[in-house]
Amino acid sequence: MSCSLQRGGEKQFIMSVTRIVLTTHSKCEVIVMVDQLPNLGREIEMLSEMGLTDIEDLFSDIPADVRFSGALPLPPPQSEEEIIRDARRLLGANVDMGSRVSFLGGGLYRNYVPASVFQLVTRGEFLTAYTPYQPEVSQGMLQAMWEFQTLISELVGLPIANLSLYDGSTAAAEALTCAVRVHTRKASQPNIVYVSCLTPPDKLSVMENYCQGAEIEIKFLSHHDDGTLDMEGLKEATGSCGVYLEQPNPLGVLDEGLTKVKEIIGQNTALIVGVQPISLGMVEAPGHYGADIVVGEGQPLGSPVTAGGPIYGIFACTKPYLRLMPGRIVGRSIDVDGKEAYCLTLSTREQHIRRHRATSNICTNETLIALMGAMHMALLGPDGLHDLAYRNAAACQKAKEILGATQGVSLVHDTSHFNEFAIRVPGTAASCLEYLDQSGIIGGFDLNRWYSDATNQILVTTTDQTSLQDIQTLSAHLTLWANHQEVEA
Amino acid sequence: MSHLFEHNGAPNTGYSQPPPLQTDQPPNVPPGLLRSKPARWPRLSEPEMVRHYTWLSKRNFGIDTGFYPLGSCTMKHNPRVNEVIAQLPGIADIHPHQPEHHLQGLLAIYYEMQHMLEICAGMDQVTLQPVAGAQGEFTAVRCIQEYFRQRGETQRTKVIVPDSAHGTNPASAAMAGFEIVEIPSLADGRMDLEALSAVADETTAAMMITNPNTLGLFEADIVEASRIVHDAGGQMYYDGANFNAILGITSPGLMGFDAVHFNLHKTFSQPHGGGGPGSGPIGVRSHLAPFLPGPLADRRDSSASEQPRSVDGHWYHWREPEHSIGKVQQWHGNAGAVIRCWAYYRRYGAGLRTMSEHAVLNANYLRHAIHREAEIEGVSHLFVDGAETKVAKHEFTLSMQPAKEQLGISAMDVAKGLLDRGYMAPTVYFPLVVPECMMIEPTETESKDTLDTFANQFAKVLQSDAETLHEAPITTPVRRVDEVYAARNLCLRHPYDD
Repeated sequence: MSCSLQRGGEKQFIMSVTRIVLTTHSKCEVIVMVDQLPNLGREIEMLSEMGLTDIEDLFSDIPADVRFSGALPLPPPQSEEEIIRDARRLLGANVDMGSRVSFLGGGLYRNYVPASVFQLVTRGEFLTAYTPYQPEVSQGMLQAMWEFQTLISELVGLPIANLSLYDGSTAAAEALTCAVRVHTRKASQPNIVYVSCLTPPDKLSVMENYCQGAEIEIKFLSHHDDGTLDMEGLKEATGSCGVYLEQPNPLGVLDEGLTKVKEIIGQNTALIVGVQPISLGMVEAPGHYGADIVVGEGQPLGSPVTAGGPIYGIFACTKPYLRLMPGRIVGRSIDVDGKEAYCLTLSTREQHIRRHRATSNICTNETLIALMGAMHMALLGPDGLHDLAYRNAAACQKAKEILGATQGVSLVHDTSHFNEFAIRVPGTAASCLEYLDQSGIIGGFDLNRWYSDATNQILVTTTDQTSLQDIQTLSAHLTLWANHQEVEA
Repeated sequence: MSHLFEHNGAPNTGYSQPPPLQTDQPPNVPPGLLRSKPARWPRLSEPEMVRHYTWLSKRNFGIDTGFYPLGSCTMKHNPRVNEVIAQLPGIADIHPHQPEHHLQGLLAIYYEMQHMLEICAGMDQVTLQPVAGAQGEFTAVRCIQEYFRQRGETQRTKVIVPDSAHGTNPASAAMAGFEIVEIPSLADGRMDLEALSAVADETTAAMMITNPNTLGLFEADIVEASRIVHDAGGQMYYDGANFNAILGITSPGLMGFDAVHFNLHKTFSQPHGGGGPGSGPIGVRSHLAPFLPGPLADRRDSSASEQPRSVDGHWYHWREPEHSIGKVQQWHGNAGAVIRCWAYYRRYGAGLRTMSEHAVLNANYLRHAIHREAEIEGVSHLFVDGAETKVAKHEFTLSMQPAKEQLGISAMDVAKGLLDRGYMAPTVYFPLVVPECMMIEPTETESKDTLDTFANQFAKVLQSDAETLHEAPITTPVRRVDEVYAARNLCLRHPYDD
């Protein structure tokens, strides 16, 4: 007996016919690939040992009225080589940044990740393990994550780090709720946090979703025209539960003023600083200027951009936040023989123990990507991190020098930057970027997508992968476009 | 031992970088913002770094190492081609801020994945944005919250969860601001409809439940439960943790659910990576669809000018739901995980049902084989089924209570004994409704021979005397780890000398 596969209505799939294996059971002949199912063809043998005759017998407990009537209207199975061929075809329709001159960043950065990181992280013992609930056979990942915690702790200058959150935005959001848990009882502005008004809307949206359940109100801190924080406005945040600022800020500006923030807001308000981790090879660690919590997108260390995920969120803090912080933490301990051993610890904060009173709902996190980060950090060492930061900063400086001298283009902030900076172009950013795209250049990010009043500003991002030629190409095409604009006018 | 922080070679021992770009002025970091004290990171050359992490990997157990019957975690084989695909530049080197015409392939795969999950779950719209199961739960209850706010039903402040639910269910609902109402399960572990009826009222926003439940039993009363909750005006939320049992056989939509999350890292084989990354898309019925996080992948016929860059004649684009709750992750979710799971689903396509059939076949066969081997080895009096049932679904529970009472052997002892025999231990002490619980999920990717051998070894463990088992494990890199010591003597980072 056979039944035809229904097609999925207007939503069609890309079909291809492959080697067919018929299973021995069920109402219709379903075709599957044998390589993932070792017991295909042994069903009757296994069933008869259980005193059953048909696989259907195993589903006798599912009422008929909630059963599918036919096969799923999905395409036929494919072999590995057909899948990879289709993957290459579909993913080949994407424009990867490496195939272009690219200046796109704004939170994710194209840094070089050494080959050994990819080779090691795909070792099956790391790749295919679950959360280390049985520490005796999980020492490898546990020790690697304890080392990761140390590397992050040293990087940001704070004593405690967890072993990752989902990304920079959820790390920032969890930091706000953590700050409220710690400070709200003594705060003169309970359940209120202050966030930089430059925070990208998508990140702010994540913060709002995480904060609304705890009825936390988010207020905003303003910046001067040169991109630095308005220290007068900051005074309003005194007595609130926490302040969230980024260094460099979302426009790439390095703001020395942040080193004075903790003095102004005081001990009972958490200073939360979001970082670009590579910058910390040159720029002061926020833990050294009073930050209570440091968060950030870990991605530039260890991970490709990957369309924004999986990446990993950094979360580090001082001791007063330890027992109310989110995420998993590894501790060093001993085994029954007194031998050094590692295990998950402080689990009583977590959902599987504390249920609805947990500090966060996070369970699955980004361990494997954090491991890539640890490997990259280990390979860099302190000198390598400095050099990497310098290369990023030098590329940014060079781009500022060249674009600052490019006809028709001006720098929005003539100050210190890391990795990226905003330029003003004669015309809308959108039309400029479209023109550059037609010339094979990903020219940057249209800041109008973040800020409604910034119609002619582009965020230009450089990394260690940016060459002098890339910058010259961008400059030349910006000049062409500016001239074109003049002719149009 | 290999200790990362004991490596302290010469400066610049590590990865050798090309020179920086030459600039007219040095890069300008404000003087007050220059790093005062470098991070005390180790200094390793590449061969040292490779050896350290290889050594660590050998002290870790994955599916590739051996059988991993960890209940509730669906530890199936992870096909390697998925890793190859995820490293192609068309996914590894793309940026979510690129324009749509740069991302036609990503959008096409997102569209196909949304649609595939909609079909499998019987839902009207899927979003791929949540990056983990717990985040999917949070996202869905937020959508339900906004749905009721828009309807003016702000009194619906409670979420009902069974006491056997995963901890993430109450944690996620509480994070969204809901009050949790926990209902007790019946003695056999199934849902108590009377208890549900007693609490479902005009303050109920939703019930969160997984089916099959955490004991591996199908809740045949699920349609009645849906009716009770819907009659009270609430929404039904399906925790997809156990989806591997029912693909192509039944669906949350057929059971009457309004929203569901998927654990792509369970059902669709995104490698667990020692704790993550995962991917936790959600699917909803049409009345909740306007509240989903954006953007969603959508498509139309491509115009003539778009043809050269289009995929199969379609133009793919992002779409923002009308009353979106906003974002739960800054970008487009864990795209790299979605791609891997796309590659996995393509292996089965319309045959996904066979995958679930074999997951259930293997679970039932293993349960049978464990009892069989226990009879042969004379240890069948030392454990009982965690739940009385003719058939289990993709996993089953055993209670070691008799062994505990008769010999002082606990579920944890048995778990550690299994580690010594080269297996990952099953989940222990969950769900709490089964005393001395072991929760076993073999998945469909284990052979009959592996299951038979494991069943025999399980019985052999129970032949050991209590003292021997209390000492287990003895063959592992370390022996039982003192978790109390870890909590009392917190050492969360390398102490250096301070």
